[in-house]
Amino acid sequence: MDLADKEQVARCRDGHPEDFGLLVDRYQKPLFSFLASRVGNFPQAEEAAQESFVRAFLSLKKLRKPESFYSWLLGIAGRVAKEQFRAELHQRKDRQAAETMMMSAAGRDEEYPVEEAIAVLPEHHRQVILLRYYEGLSCKEVAVRLALPLGTVTKTLSRAYALLRQELQARGGGEQTVNKTRQS
Amino acid sequence: MNCAECRDNFIACAEGLLDRGEELQCRAHLETCPECRAEYEGIARLHQRLLARGQAAAGVDIVETVMRRVRQEQFKLERETIMSKLFKHRWGFGLGAAAGAAAILLLLLGTSPKAQARAAEVMTQGAQAVARLTSIHLRGQLRTAPQDNFSHIDAEREFCAIELWKQFVPELKWRAEKPGRVAVMDGESTVLYIKNGHYGNRFPHPSPSAYDTEWLHRIASLGNTISNELRNAQAKGWQMDTSEETAADGKVKSVVTIHAKSGVPENDYLKNSFFDNADTRRVYRFDAGTKLLEAVQFYLVRPSGETLIFDLNQIDYNQPLDAKLFVLDLPADVSWWQEPQTLPDNEKYASMTVEQAARAFLEACSRKDWDEAGKFMSPINEQVKQYLGGLEIVSLGESFASKSYGGRFVPYEIKLQPQEFNVRVSNTNRAKRWVLTGQYDTKLQLEHDFKMSTEPEVLANNEAYARLSAQEAVQAYFDAQAKFDWVEMRKFTSELDVTETKSQVEMAEAQGMDAHKIMPVIEAVEAFWSPEQSAWFVKCRASATKKWNLAVRNDNPARRWQVDGGF
Repeated sequence: MDLADKEQVARCRDGHPEDFGLLVDRYQKPLFSFLASRVGNFPQAEEAAQESFVRAFLSLKKLRKPESFYSWLLGIAGRVAKEQFRAELHQRKDRQAAETMMMSAAGRDEEYPVEEAIAVLPEHHRQVILLRYYEGLSCKEVAVRLALPLGTVTKTLSRAYALLRQELQARGGGEQTVNKTRQS
Repeated sequence: MNCAECRDNFIACAEGLLDRGEELQCRAHLETCPECRAEYEGIARLHQRLLARGQAAAGVDIVETVMRRVRQEQFKLERETIMSKLFKHRWGFGLGAAAGAAAILLLLLGTSPKAQARAAEVMTQGAQAVARLTSIHLRGQLRTAPQDNFSHIDAEREFCAIELWKQFVPELKWRAEKPGRVAVMDGESTVLYIKNGHYGNRFPHPSPSAYDTEWLHRIASLGNTISNELRNAQAKGWQMDTSEETAADGKVKSVVTIHAKSGVPENDYLKNSFFDNADTRRVYRFDAGTKLLEAVQFYLVRPSGETLIFDLNQIDYNQPLDAKLFVLDLPADVSWWQEPQTLPDNEKYASMTVEQAARAFLEACSRKDWDEAGKFMSPINEQVKQYLGGLEIVSLGESFASKSYGGRFVPYEIKLQPQEFNVRVSNTNRAKRWVLTGQYDTKLQLEHDFKMSTEPEVLANNEAYARLSAQEAVQAYFDAQAKFDWVEMRKFTSELDVTETKSQVEMAEAQGMDAHKIMPVIEAVEAFWSPEQSAWFVKCRASATKKWNLAVRNDNPARRWQVDGGF
């Protein structure tokens, strides 16, 4: 029985801090993926993901909308990535290398809206997307995991896709926009 | 197939999950509808993009690392919070400050500030000692029903053993056990198994504490205990105090006592049935030298006095724990709980009142319509079917709530279908009377041993009893039981059996039940010899009325009322 983010956050705040592990488990992969596209390498993305979760835990009391935990977490992660980037830039003495980093970082941003777009999906849509792609389950396995009929899972996924595409296009992160960015 | 239906089927179509007919319809629509085709192609690209994102993150597993850091940060915070409170207290107290933080502090520290500050210090030191743990094993005894929840308490019951094994490194695993149930978190999933009911509940993920074991985990992790007790002390005005005592071996012990008030009214239905709705005095004993927690006692505090309900007398720190502890060897026929899912006609059920749902459930049991009953309860296993099948509803009352339960209770009275069982009898004793030695199920599996440890004595009117046949003797025993004639019952069975029956009756009466009304009417049907058991048995049939409160809740995704307990 998976608790919704809202209930899970409430439990963490209400004397069950160990339950934060369940939120980490739920979002570690999409968060990592989001950060990997921003910082450009996996070890740094993993480090930034850890830091983001720890900061989220320490600020959990400030979260006004517990149902928006994931998008709030992405906001924290975005700030962590920026700090990490600045710190690295500061350490680099070689100006040319720094410029290369800046250029490649600018290029990396092109795909980051995917995880942000996932964050604004309704929770049940988000859940199937995360299980299907970030947990690597097949539709049948998602159905078993959530104890839902297969048809419900595939329909939910179809609707989640449609919402995700709309969201990506609205944010300028869809395929066409990416191509334009590359051309410019 | 129209556009909306086609788009709903995009994924099923792309992944080859539609049947042949539906797939042809979907593809035919895509051929003729350019908008849907464009959407389908867009989704196919998005699918590829998401697959790549997911694959890149496949090996990521930072839960343990993050939680280790979280625990360190939390502990640091708690220590700072406690120390800052103590500091503020001393400072504020000295200046006689009356506002803001000082006012909160005085509430926390009550009438004996020095003693209370010391209590917080002792617990902080205990937590620091615990923070270096690799494993812990707690063993104690609890007054509880063996089958019931891990946090269930009942001051009128005998003690039964309760244990927690917890491994912190290399990864968090735990096992909690009492005679009737066991819960195991093996690092990947969390499973509860209720032994007698062959009933299981499984979370497909690791849980730091589950199935009402939080209170035990809190003892195992003093950091949580401190933050919890301090928060409660602040919010609810609980008292904390401390004392020192010297044990028989000359070692000094620091004793912290917490007077916990649940805030649940005395007349609440669930008052004092679980830890979180009981008023308790909690006594923690620490070794003054090692700072380690050594023993814990919880006393139930009622207007009539105090009763020791939990006695934790063994705590093993950093002992190697057998890996087998975290592996549950379950029988094949476990019935697993399933969360209610939205039904095609879900609205019909979701719109029911709680009383209507209770009636619909009991009527389905009455008809033995288990598909329908399954819409109100999970799991419906053989035991449920045997117990509730064919019942007759006598009455259903208006529902009521308890402050400490998320659902509602529906009073009911039902007549249960007669249940068959066997009693083992013997007359090979010096009094030559038939006596009952045990209760068996219909397959002659032992259910309850009457523990006849001594021979029945020869009665003054022994001859009258010796003339009874086995069937007549068993009938006489159950007739005496129906009249609560304990003296007469003793002529047919052990003292232990009589005492147990008597205490069950007293317990039912203490809970406001009419014990005469709920006592089953038992008919001794016939005596028979079992060559396998080399013993005489009497086949019996029990017809019982059950009057109790059905616990029902609808806080599930399908918003349907689900029976949660109350049998």
